[in-house]
Amino acid sequence: MDELRSMWGNTRMVVLSAIAAALYAAVLVPFKVVPFIPGVTELRPANAIPVVCSFMFGPAAAWGAAIGNMIGDFFGGVGPADIFGFFANLVYGYVPYKVWQVLAKGEEPVIRSPLTLVKYVIACLLASAFCADIVGWGENLLALRPFLMLGNAIVFNNMLAAMLLSPFLLAAIYPRVKAGHLLYQDVMPDRPQRRRGTAALGLVLLAAGVAGAWVTGNLISTGYWTPHALPASMTQPPYDRAIAIVVTPLVALAALGLELM
Amino acid sequence: MPIYLYLDRRTFIHRLHPTVKILTIIGIFWSVYWVDNPVSLLPLGLLLLAGAQLTRAWPNFYSLRWLFILVIFATTVTWIIFYRQGKPLLHLGPLFVSRASLEYGLGRGIKLAELLATSVLFLSTTKVEEFAFGLAEMGVPYRVGFAITLAFRLVPLFIDSALTVVQAQSLRGYDFNRGGLITRVRRYVPVTVPVFMGALRKANNMAMALEARGFGYSARPTSYVHYEMRPFDFAMLLGVALLGAAYFLIYYTGYGAIAPR
Amino acid sequence: MKTAMESQRAIDAGAAGEPAGEAAALEGVSFRFRIGAHPALENIHFRQRVGEMVGIMGAAGTGKSSLARCLNAIIPGFEYGQFKGRVTVLGRAVDGARVCEMAPAVGMVFQDFEAQLFSTNVAHEVAFAMEQVGLPPAEIRRRLGPALEAVGLAGFQDRDPTSLSGGEKQRLAIASVLAVEPAVIAFDEPTTDLDPEGRAEVFDLIRRLRGRGLSLLIIEHETEEMRQCDRILILRDGRIAAEGPPHRILADTRLMNQCGIRPPGINLVLAELGIDAYAASVDEAEALIRRSLGLPADFKVEAAQTAGIRSAAFQPPSSPQAPPLVEIDHLTHVYGGQVRALDEVSLRIDAGEFVAIIGQNGSGKTTLAKHIVGLLKPSAGRVLLGGRERAAMQPAQAAAMVGYVFQNPDHQIFAGTVGDEVAFGPRNFGLDAGEIQRRCDRVLKAVGLESMRGQDPFLLGRGERQRLAVASVLALQPRLLILDEPTTGLDYPQQRRMMDLIADLNRAGTAIVIITHTPWLVAEYARRAVLMRKGRKLFDGAVRDLFAQEELLASAAFRVPEVTALSRRFGMVALTAAELAGALRGAG
Repeated sequence: MDELRSMWGNTRMVVLSAIAAALYAAVLVPFKVVPFIPGVTELRPANAIPVVCSFMFGPAAAWGAAIGNMIGDFFGGVGPADIFGFFANLVYGYVPYKVWQVLAKGEEPVIRSPLTLVKYVIACLLASAFCADIVGWGENLLALRPFLMLGNAIVFNNMLAAMLLSPFLLAAIYPRVKAGHLLYQDVMPDRPQRRRGTAALGLVLLAAGVAGAWVTGNLISTGYWTPHALPASMTQPPYDRAIAIVVTPLVALAALGLELM
Repeated sequence: MPIYLYLDRRTFIHRLHPTVKILTIIGIFWSVYWVDNPVSLLPLGLLLLAGAQLTRAWPNFYSLRWLFILVIFATTVTWIIFYRQGKPLLHLGPLFVSRASLEYGLGRGIKLAELLATSVLFLSTTKVEEFAFGLAEMGVPYRVGFAITLAFRLVPLFIDSALTVVQAQSLRGYDFNRGGLITRVRRYVPVTVPVFMGALRKANNMAMALEARGFGYSARPTSYVHYEMRPFDFAMLLGVALLGAAYFLIYYTGYGAIAPR
Repeated sequence: MKTAMESQRAIDAGAAGEPAGEAAALEGVSFRFRIGAHPALENIHFRQRVGEMVGIMGAAGTGKSSLARCLNAIIPGFEYGQFKGRVTVLGRAVDGARVCEMAPAVGMVFQDFEAQLFSTNVAHEVAFAMEQVGLPPAEIRRRLGPALEAVGLAGFQDRDPTSLSGGEKQRLAIASVLAVEPAVIAFDEPTTDLDPEGRAEVFDLIRRLRGRGLSLLIIEHETEEMRQCDRILILRDGRIAAEGPPHRILADTRLMNQCGIRPPGINLVLAELGIDAYAASVDEAEALIRRSLGLPADFKVEAAQTAGIRSAAFQPPSSPQAPPLVEIDHLTHVYGGQVRALDEVSLRIDAGEFVAIIGQNGSGKTTLAKHIVGLLKPSAGRVLLGGRERAAMQPAQAAAMVGYVFQNPDHQIFAGTVGDEVAFGPRNFGLDAGEIQRRCDRVLKAVGLESMRGQDPFLLGRGERQRLAVASVLALQPRLLILDEPTTGLDYPQQRRMMDLIADLNRAGTAIVIITHTPWLVAEYARRAVLMRKGRKLFDGAVRDLFAQEELLASAAFRVPEVTALSRRFGMVALTAAELAGALRGAG
């Protein structure tokens, strides 16, 4: 994840992160008037943008998603959980590019065959779920909202946008950005690469952590299951301490996987 | 188009030191964290209402009224359902209502509304550049702060551009609201692509103009703005510290908890 | 490299010591972008003295910007490619410097003012470059006021740059550059995106900067503004095609035509009359013509000479039986409950007309046009298309009556190929495939893009994208085509091509309305003009009649073309150089 730091040395990357952020926020803000209603899924077209940017701008898209989400929060009001929203979006804008590097290095993220589609779905699913894990885990940690309520709606909304809208945008925009030499690999050609084996291990850890956090977060927040080892005081709503003990290591595992990729 | 909440009123709260404003927010988040029952949240609520009066920020509260109502309502209902504790007043299948769950749910609703109000007050009284200054004071690197400010500047630009594109396409027979979900999603493409490409066309020019202005000349550019701490800033910090202590005390003495378990 | 203060000292020293010091020099510079088959610059030799004002002209893509960008190392430090040659600024080699290191020595103002403002507050914007080069806060505060004063923005410190007009934004960008006190300032088409007032503001400012002894490099399309230069360079295909003082370069109308530059109208008149001399103003041109043709001081062109011109003029519509294409009846539009953008405007447009709507920014031109196409709803009054209420029409019916081409073609282009872009409108309206195909063929041919049907529109040049935008609106076969500033950002050959295309469409039967700021376009192409001011219609009639009313035009800040101003001295209203020369030849 060193590139999340080193990209700031490149002026084009700084500008791209600001542009990615502003594009994200420019679509978020007008839709902000319709607030998030639990259980009701709406199409949030803005959620397609971090994914599109991720495949093109890598780390700049990650920061763009985080900053863009923050600007959206500025419009609708910020809360302590928005610090989790910041990191959740950072991940949402970063993971698709990272996973693509491991699964489909050198391929264009324009879906032309069933195999590319599968890789694309994996990349988006991991990004969406990791993003949801962080928000659900964080909000439940502060006992603001249950994991179940946010976690699932976020996965669903993100995937809806990433599957229905992003591919069309990528098909239209990616080849042109490539022709304009603005892809991450053109803007910063000399960046260190991970060994293939390490990166693959990272992907496995990421997937395990993301899936584990999602399953346990859902189970615990609904009260269906808590580890027997936990004292009774922790197995009561709002389950914030149970979440802290069980889900936190899984989120950390996913982050470690990302670091290795 | 005014998309940000800032109101140019120049009250004494507007003139607070940016860092003090950020610390005040953190203080309020801290205070809210410790208590659960609605009554103990009331004093803070009154303080926030007083703040709205003093900063003359009512227009913002009015324009976000539905957000407030929804946040309180949705959160209360969710937690009533999830918080299955105490003697049931009503138990119908999955629906479980007790005095404790009512109190807890209402407490959560008020808590989130208060967090939202805090941020609305902050945004009504703080300019983007003050926020950036505050971030820098708290150790956020220069270039990250710069990207945030730049993104804030670009959002209205991109929204304007999107509105123009919608007009241009509508004259070519483009109908935003026709068709089912998938058709509608595809209908974002003719709007999003021009906005995206327009933004990316700017990216190179912006990076060029930035470097031409000396961006990168010094790793730590000087800052000509400087905010002095004034007596009122110290008074505010003292007030926030007292508030935080008081709420911790409420928690410690057990008055902040939900009455009968 | 040096800090801003050091470079300032260097300039002071240079100014005091050697008056003829060298501000900048390019020796044998060649550059080729990594994309692009042709070199952007080829073996350029160029020297600029301290305090000299040099103008660079040439068609689009001839290397003007590239030349300027060598001075502050954007080439080759930021734009990658093959670079050869040597660049010095104030006697020091730029060799290998980073762009940011050049900021204290060379300031640069770009065309796109939105892409060079980075702050949310005017004072911060001016401070920005000073902060970057590490000036101490006290020094920044000291320079802030004078910099804003120099560009006429004193008192704007706390404003949000978004709330400024185009001209103000560009002056703000200049203030930010000025505050660093660079030795050389390069202006890369600083007024291309501005309205006439914004242009005047910026060029007034450039004139004042010149008075302060700064070395200036100015890239510009319009020749009138370049007369104040000490020297003009004309570029063609990356090479210097000509170089010399304005009186030599601007008098050579043939050279300018060859290099894709519009020659000044008054010099064209002189050339047509065979007068081999240079005029820098209407006054000088008048004196030259009177002297050369031996015309007495009270000479006026006789009515007989202008009779032919008169008859070709605009005829008021004379077929009241057929319903007009557009009928606007006491239309009022109020924005946000207070600003009266349109105030009881009535207007009638008939089939086959060619109308220019002119007026300052904010006079209601675009609002009026948007009402015709139905993008706005009247606050009062009504709009009829072909005798039917606009509000009651289906989108498809309205689109077949009137089409609207937005100012920026990039606000509508999105498709993967030129062909798909054109077909988008017809497909939306559910036409069958055969008909769509026929329409695409026809309109692509009309705009000269038939060979590019399969190409990606985003990779086309600006002029081609503008023509594509026209084609995609034409595909809906409107009887009236409205174009909002169709020549913005185009060079002279592209402007000509665009306007000739519009004139062809008009001859083929499409009625045309153009919204424009460019006086010579109105003079040479439109037959009827509508002058707007503060939401009211000030004038509606023949272009020639409008151009005769100097006071009226002055009240709306519209300047007639210099040719027309010159013709008024001889008692006539000529719209083109050929017209005036013809009338004078007949008299002389």
